[in-house]
Amino acid sequence: MIKKITSSIVILLACLFSIVPVLYVLSVSLRGDNAFGAKTLKIVTSTSNFDNYVKLFTETSFLTWLYNSLLVSFVVTLLGVTLAATSGYSLSRHKFKGKQFLLFSILTTQMFPATMLMLPFFIILSKLHLINNFLGLIIIYSSTALPFCIWQMKGYFDTIPKELEEAAKVDGCTNFQTFYKIILPMSLPALVITGLFSFMSSWSEYLVAAITLQDPALYTLPLGLKSFQSSLSTQWGLYAAGALIVSIPVVVLFIIISKFLVSGLTVGSVKG
Amino acid sequence: MQTKKYIITLLALILSISAHCADKVQIQLWHQMIYSHRSVLANVVKDFEQDNPDVEVVSIYRETEELRSAFQSAAMGGSGPELIFGPSDQIGPFVTMGLLQNLDEVYTQEELEAFDPLSRVKYHDQLYMLGNSVGNFLMLIYNKDYIQTPPKTLEEFIRVAQENTIINENGSGNQRYGLAFNYTEPFFFVPWVTGFGEHFIKNDNIPNLATTSMADAFSLMHDFKEKYKIVPLECDYEAANALFKEGRAAMIINGDWSWGDYRAANVNFGIARFPLIEKSGKYPAPLVGTTGYSLNKNISSPAKKEASLKLLRYLTSEKIQTRFTKEISTFPSRLKIRETALVTSNPILNEASKIMETGRPMPVVPEVRAIWDSLRGLYQSVLAGTMTPEKAASEAQEKAEKQILQMNEVLKPDASLTIIYIVFAIAIAIGLFYFTKSLRKIVSDIMERNHFPYFMILPAYLGILSVVLFPFVYNILLSFSNFSLHTFENWNLIGIHHYIEVLTDPKFYEILVKTIIWTLTNVFFHVSIGVILAVIIEQVMPKKNIWRTILIIPWAIPQYITALTWRGMFNQEYGPINIFLHDYLKLSPIQWLSQPLTTFAACLLTNVWLGFPFMMIVALGGLQSIPKSVYESAELDGANPLQKFFHITWPMLTPVIKPAALLGCIWTFNTLNVIWLVSNSGEPADQTHILVSYVYKAAFNLYRYGYSAALSVVIFVILVFASLGANYINKKSTKAEF
Repeated sequence: MIKKITSSIVILLACLFSIVPVLYVLSVSLRGDNAFGAKTLKIVTSTSNFDNYVKLFTETSFLTWLYNSLLVSFVVTLLGVTLAATSGYSLSRHKFKGKQFLLFSILTTQMFPATMLMLPFFIILSKLHLINNFLGLIIIYSSTALPFCIWQMKGYFDTIPKELEEAAKVDGCTNFQTFYKIILPMSLPALVITGLFSFMSSWSEYLVAAITLQDPALYTLPLGLKSFQSSLSTQWGLYAAGALIVSIPVVVLFIIISKFLVSGLTVGSVKG
Repeated sequence: MQTKKYIITLLALILSISAHCADKVQIQLWHQMIYSHRSVLANVVKDFEQDNPDVEVVSIYRETEELRSAFQSAAMGGSGPELIFGPSDQIGPFVTMGLLQNLDEVYTQEELEAFDPLSRVKYHDQLYMLGNSVGNFLMLIYNKDYIQTPPKTLEEFIRVAQENTIINENGSGNQRYGLAFNYTEPFFFVPWVTGFGEHFIKNDNIPNLATTSMADAFSLMHDFKEKYKIVPLECDYEAANALFKEGRAAMIINGDWSWGDYRAANVNFGIARFPLIEKSGKYPAPLVGTTGYSLNKNISSPAKKEASLKLLRYLTSEKIQTRFTKEISTFPSRLKIRETALVTSNPILNEASKIMETGRPMPVVPEVRAIWDSLRGLYQSVLAGTMTPEKAASEAQEKAEKQILQMNEVLKPDASLTIIYIVFAIAIAIGLFYFTKSLRKIVSDIMERNHFPYFMILPAYLGILSVVLFPFVYNILLSFSNFSLHTFENWNLIGIHHYIEVLTDPKFYEILVKTIIWTLTNVFFHVSIGVILAVIIEQVMPKKNIWRTILIIPWAIPQYITALTWRGMFNQEYGPINIFLHDYLKLSPIQWLSQPLTTFAACLLTNVWLGFPFMMIVALGGLQSIPKSVYESAELDGANPLQKFFHITWPMLTPVIKPAALLGCIWTFNTLNVIWLVSNSGEPADQTHILVSYVYKAAFNLYRYGYSAALSVVIFVILVFASLGANYINKKSTKAEF
C-alpha cells in the first residue's frame, strides 16, 4: 500500500513537472495583449481569447510552413528508415571487413559541435546550387539523423534470434528476401521508432533550415515561428500559439505509436 | 517488385521537391524590421513589383544578429541577398570583410545632400549605407498617469522614481517600480557614462573604459538597484517592457522602436531626455544610429544589379520614406520630409529630435563589438556586487584592448606550418595505404560472394559521408588557418597557433570542467529519473499508457521552444516559478538568471526536463525483457523492493542503459540550444558557458573562426577518446560489445 501511494505521488509529480511548461505556453497563447508575463498562475483569465490562433491561420503563412515542414519531414522519415534499416541489418547480422570501424565512425559524427558545421554546409550547398531547395535540406537532415537511427535499428535486429533466418535460408530465400520478408515485418516497432526519430529531428530543426532556405515561400515551421521573434519586439502570443500547434502533431504521433515505443527502442542489445 | 516501386516513388518524391524555377529577375532583400513595420515594407515592395513586372522582390526577415551571421556565410558561399536593411553598426564588420558596395558611386553628391549626415553611414570615409530613418536611440519614456512633467535632473529623477516605487504590503514584491529597463545590457547603460563626462570610445575606434565616468556610471547603476531600489532586481528587456505596458513601471528607458507597442497597449506615455547629471553638467548621451539599406558587392548578374539599384533608389525615395513616417512614425532621414507637417505636427517626433541633439553617433567600427562584449561581463559583475566599479572599469579596458587585438590580428604562417604539412602528408599517405589495403580486402570479400552486407550499407554511408566529410575536413583546415574578420576572403594556413592558444588558456580548462560537470549531472538525472519512473510505471501503476504519454511530452516539443519557454518561466518578476514560490511557499522571489549558480541550475533543470523521457523509454524497453519468473523467485526468497531493484532490475537494465547513456553524454556535451537560450548567450558575465557555447560565441560574436575551429577539433578529440575509453572499460568489465 505504502509502495502504491509513494509511487503514485512520484508519478504525479513527474507528470506535473513535464506538463507545467506546456501549460505556461498555453496561457501565453491565450492572452490577447501580446505580453509574455502576467502576475498570476491562472491559465485562463478574463481576458483570454483565441485571437492569436485565429491570427496565426489567417494573417500569417502558417499553413504554408506547415505544408513545407510536413513534406520535408515525411521524405526524411522515409529515407531515414529505409537507409537505417538496410545498414543496421548489415551491421547486426553480417561479418565483414571494417565493421567495428564503421560502427564507431558513425558515432563520431555526433561528436563534432554542430554549429561549426554550418558554414561549410552552406558553402557546399551553394556550390551545388542546393540553396533554396528542399533537396539540400533533406540530404542533410537524413544524414544527420542516420547515425542514431542505424544504431537503433542494429540494436533491435540484434535481439531477433538468428534461427529464423537460418530457417528461411533453408527454405531457399536469398539474403535480401530473408531481410525483406522475414526480418522487416518483425521489426515494425523499431522501424516506427526510427521513423519517429527521423521525423522529429527534421520537424524541429532550425539552424540548417535557416541557412539553406532563403525564400519565405519555402520556410519550414521553425523558421516561421522564429520570425515572430525579434530581439527587441517579440510577438509572444503568436509565438506561443504557433509553438503549441507545432508540438501537437508530434504528441499525436507519440500517442498513436506509443505501443511500439517501449518495445522498439533498443539502442543496446539486451541479453536476457 | 514492391521494393522497386517504393524506391522509385521515393526518388520521384525527392526530385519533384527539388524542382524550383524562376524566370523573373529575383532580388532578395534581407531586413530586420520588427513585426509591425514589416507590413509597410511588404506593401511598398508590392507596389514596386507592380511598376516593374520583370522584377520579383523576395524580402526576408532575420533577427538582427542572425542577419549579420547569415549574410556573412552567404557571402562566403558566393551568394546572398542583393540588398540588406539593418542597423548602422553592422557596416564596419561587413566592409572589413569586403561584402559591401561603395554607394558613393551610386548616388550623386547632390542626391546625398538631401539626407541627414547621420543617415549617410561611412566607414573609412566611404559611403556604405543610406538610412531610411534616423533614430534607434534610447530615451526616457514615462507614464503620464503617474508623472506629469518628466524629471529634469538626476536628483529629481531619483526622487520621482522613489516616489513611484511602491512595495506591496504583504511582501509580495513591488506593486510598481519607479524605473525599469534592460539595465544589464551595455547599450542601455553607456548613455550614463557619457553623461558623467567622458565618452566610452575615443577617435571612433579606441575603447575609453578606464575612466572615472565609467566608474561613476557603474556605481550609479548599482545604486539604482541596491541603494535607491528603484529598479527590479532582475530585469531583461522583455520584463521591463511588460512592466511598463502593464503600468507597473512609471518610467522606462527604451528606444523609438517601442512606441508602437506602447500605443497598441494604450499606455499614456511621454518621452523625454535623460536627466541632466548635476556633477558634470551634462546630459547622458544616447547613441543615435540609423537603420538603412546597403548593397551587396558581389551581385551575380548585370540584370540583377540594375534591378537592385532601382529598388534601392525606390526604397530611399521621398515618396516611400514619407509613407514609412506616416504609417509607423519613423523619423525620416530626408531633411525635406522633416519640414513637412507630418513631422512638425507630431509631438513625439518633435520631442525626439530634441532628445537626439544630446546623442552621439552610433559607432560603426567592428571594434565596438569587442567593447560591448568586454563591458558586458564586467558591468554585470559590478551589478552582482562582486567587483568594485573602479576595478571593473580598468579591467574592462584591458579586456577590450585584448579582444580588439585578437579580432584585428592577421596571423602569419610560422614554423609549425611546415610540420603541419609534413604531418598532413604522412596522414594522407597512411590513409591512402590503409584505404587501398582495405579496399582490396573489401573487393576480394565482395568477389567471394559476400557482397550483400556492403550493398546494404552503402547508401547510408554515402549519405553520411557526403554530408559530414567536407565540413569536417574544412574545419580541420580552418583550425590551422588565420581565418578571421580581416582575412575573410583570403585566409591561409598558418600552423598550430590556435591550438596553442586554446590549450594554454586557463579559461579553456575552467569551461572544460564546467562542461564535464554539466554533462555528468545531466546524464545522472536523466538516467535516474528515467529509470525510477520506468520501474514505477512498469511494476506498480495501472494504465501504463496514460502515464507514458504524459511523461513523453517534453521529448515531443522542439528544443528551441522549450528553451525560450523555460527562460520565461525563470523570469524574476513574471515567471511562474517565482510566483509559485511566493504564492504557495511564501518564499521571496529568486533572481534565477542573474547569478552564475542559479543560472546554471536553471539551465540544468531545463535540460533535465528535456532529456529524461528518452531514458525512461529506453528503460521501459529494457524492463520488458526481464522475465517475471526472476522476480517471483526473488519474492519467494523474501527480497524487499529495494533488494529486487538493486539485485535484479538494475543489473539487467545496464546493458540497455549504458549505450543510451553514452549517446546521452555526447549529446549533452554538445548541446547549444539550452545553454545559449536560457542564459541569454552565457550571462551573467559569461559565466554560464560550456565548451560549445563558448565556441559559438567566439565564432559568431567575435569573428574568430580559426580559433573556434581549433576548439571544435579539441572538443571532438576529447569526445572520441572519452567514448573509446568508456568502451574499453565497458568491455573489460562485461566482455560485451556495445
